[in-house]
Amino acid sequence: MAASGGRRLLWHGRCWFSQTESAVLPQPPGSLYPPIVASATAKSKAAKRRRLEHFNQRVHAAASIEEKLRLYGQLQRPKYMLYPQTFALNADRWYQSFTKTVFVAGLPPRAASAAAKGPGAVAPEAAKTPEGAAGVAPEAAKALEPRTAAPGAAKIPEAAVRAGPYLDVGELRSLACDALLQECFYQHKKQPFLHRRQDHTAGPFLTQLVSTLVAFLCGRNPLLAASSLDLKPEVNYYWHHGEEVVVHGYRKGRVDPVRFQIDDHPHLQIRVPKQLPQIVPLESDLGDVPVIDHKPSKLPLFKKQYENKVFIGSKVADPCCYGHTQFHLIPDKLKRERFLRANLEDQIEVLYRANGIASLFAWTAAQAMYQGFWSEADVTRPFVSQAVVTDGKYFAFFCYQLNTLALTVETIKNNPRKNICWGTDSKPLYDVVEDGSVKGFNDEVLIQLVRFLLNRPKEL
Amino acid sequence: LFQGVRQAQWLTKTKLVEGLPPAVLSIVDNPAHQLEDLEEKVKHAISHARLWDTTEVAPRRERYCPVLFEDLIHLCRLMSMKYPSLTKRTLARNYKISATWERESILLQVRGLNGILINSVAPIPPVASKEEILDTEEHVLETFYPISPTIDLQEVHVYKELNDTGFRDGYPYSHPHTLFFLESANIRPNRFRPEQLRAKMLMFAFGNALAKAKVLYGNDPKVLEQPIVVQSVGTDGQLFQFMVFQLNTTDLVSSDGIKNLVWIDSDQNLYENAQCVPEVKKRVVTKPAGIYGFQPDTFKKFLALYLHGTV
Repeated sequence: MAASGGRRLLWHGRCWFSQTESAVLPQPPGSLYPPIVASATAKSKAAKRRRLEHFNQRVHAAASIEEKLRLYGQLQRPKYMLYPQTFALNADRWYQSFTKTVFVAGLPPRAASAAAKGPGAVAPEAAKTPEGAAGVAPEAAKALEPRTAAPGAAKIPEAAVRAGPYLDVGELRSLACDALLQECFYQHKKQPFLHRRQDHTAGPFLTQLVSTLVAFLCGRNPLLAASSLDLKPEVNYYWHHGEEVVVHGYRKGRVDPVRFQIDDHPHLQIRVPKQLPQIVPLESDLGDVPVIDHKPSKLPLFKKQYENKVFIGSKVADPCCYGHTQFHLIPDKLKRERFLRANLEDQIEVLYRANGIASLFAWTAAQAMYQGFWSEADVTRPFVSQAVVTDGKYFAFFCYQLNTLALTVETIKNNPRKNICWGTDSKPLYDVVEDGSVKGFNDEVLIQLVRFLLNRPKEL
Repeated sequence: LFQGVRQAQWLTKTKLVEGLPPAVLSIVDNPAHQLEDLEEKVKHAISHARLWDTTEVAPRRERYCPVLFEDLIHLCRLMSMKYPSLTKRTLARNYKISATWERESILLQVRGLNGILINSVAPIPPVASKEEILDTEEHVLETFYPISPTIDLQEVHVYKELNDTGFRDGYPYSHPHTLFFLESANIRPNRFRPEQLRAKMLMFAFGNALAKAKVLYGNDPKVLEQPIVVQSVGTDGQLFQFMVFQLNTTDLVSSDGIKNLVWIDSDQNLYENAQCVPEVKKRVVTKPAGIYGFQPDTFKKFLALYLHGTV
């Protein structure tokens, strides 16, 4: 019988679940005959379903996370390579549709760390509250975190107990200016290599700025004291989303999931042992995901077949397995002047947004996979990470909450959850550096960066 | 350098003292300067650099040597919780140094892009006392006749005798504090042997100190009232060489008189072995993956050199 022939194939001790399809009659217990199920090797839709089900069970039953990741990415087929830093027009809307992300302009209100800036920074604080209020307004209708609902007056003494002396914006500004001047002005350097100006000035400045700020702020944020700083790490993620028909080749005519892979190289990233708190509850709906009716290759995206990697920056055994902040550097060939020369001013912001969305989705999704979740076993708690995208002068801040990993055709059907990305436009940190001084330094950008670094779970 | 440290000593008119100076050793032994869970954090740093940092099975030396250095410096920087004056330091990568001096009618110079430097606002106070400095007068520099002291040095035509610290005037972090040398070539012949690495460290520390002295005190050769101290650490990812150099005099033409001093602590292992894949003999795991032979003293010395000058 076809059923017993099928069962012999799976004789290596896998636990057996009888299929609950309409074609199967559930046998009464104590029956002498084996259950009637679809074949595992026939060229039929039922057989394909059964093979998929078997694969899902294997991944569910994997002994360790490494084994699970190995099985998840075992089958290699041609897949689209997504580049977070891309010159493609309107790439952010395409990436949003691939990752089921809602983009919300402005950052979520962070009242807990805003309260840490006490009377030492009154004037910039007054400038901050209208910006914070503007961020609150679109989300005012939605339920927010209980900590933001607490009255502001009660938070300041609480933060004073935790944060100690108030932060001095002047000192932070001098640290940032020193780092900038060292890289731009004081250090003798050779001429930058052609089209590599970001390695010459912006890259070292960013590294220097972040490392000094982390050292300066680690007293206030114990999470930073346990963090791990990576320089030029690798972040990879592989997933399926949507369906297509194979166009040519020996598999022509078959219906395949559309596979994507992101291979990202942020300039700097901070990984921490404890997860950042969620910003909004898991089932929140803050907007719509854009729907693109074209094939992904029209973006343009190209297919290649290679190893399916899922990596957050270090292996599963690392205790710092959650992400805190990533820093991305825009390369010289995607600089602003090029867009302006080509009359594409609006695409400048698109570049920053696409970079933020794609990189943060890859990072948070890989973190979720490191905890054992995948598209069939969706996340039970949201994963939050932050990113700063910069070209050395202009900074854009992004915040991402991963609510769902279920993006494949079967799992997306009854899944109301959406991932959410908050982001700002790019703002300059300074105007110009000349004669050993920085002109037009913008404190707001620096304070936003400090806020990002001070973000921590509520218990700490 | 052929003869290693001995040759470098002759070229820079330096007297060698084994072990680290007492000022640094006191920082090592002082328990107030320890990080909490020091051993845990350093083991994590080593495991991250040697085991976890890559999608392949084991990272190569080009990758793990800089990563280990960055992680250790990150741990040291976290000490600025306790000592806020540690924030008055910057790290400069790929900076250019050039210093020129004459040694018994041979013109020598040190130039190049050489690794990573930590600069600080305040100079390190002199490590040796006045008596020790005067003692060096009697010390005779060892020569290795018949080998010329300038063997293995590249002879070039220079048209400008440059003395450049690598930074412009007015730079607030103007005092060189510590130099770091990472031997991260994958192939063993491309890396320096420990002896040659120590000699390189000595030459570059001397070059930095000399350039700074010429900026502060002018080009005339003389004995310095305030000796300049520059530290140096060299590693290939596992072995560490620590060095503290004190420049006492810029009068280098003659071979007698006050000499410079250097304290060297060589060949300190941070760990014995890093097993990336478990060793299996006859289907039994004999050695699980991990770091073996960890020695916390090496990191304590690293931290002490980092903290020296601010505590």
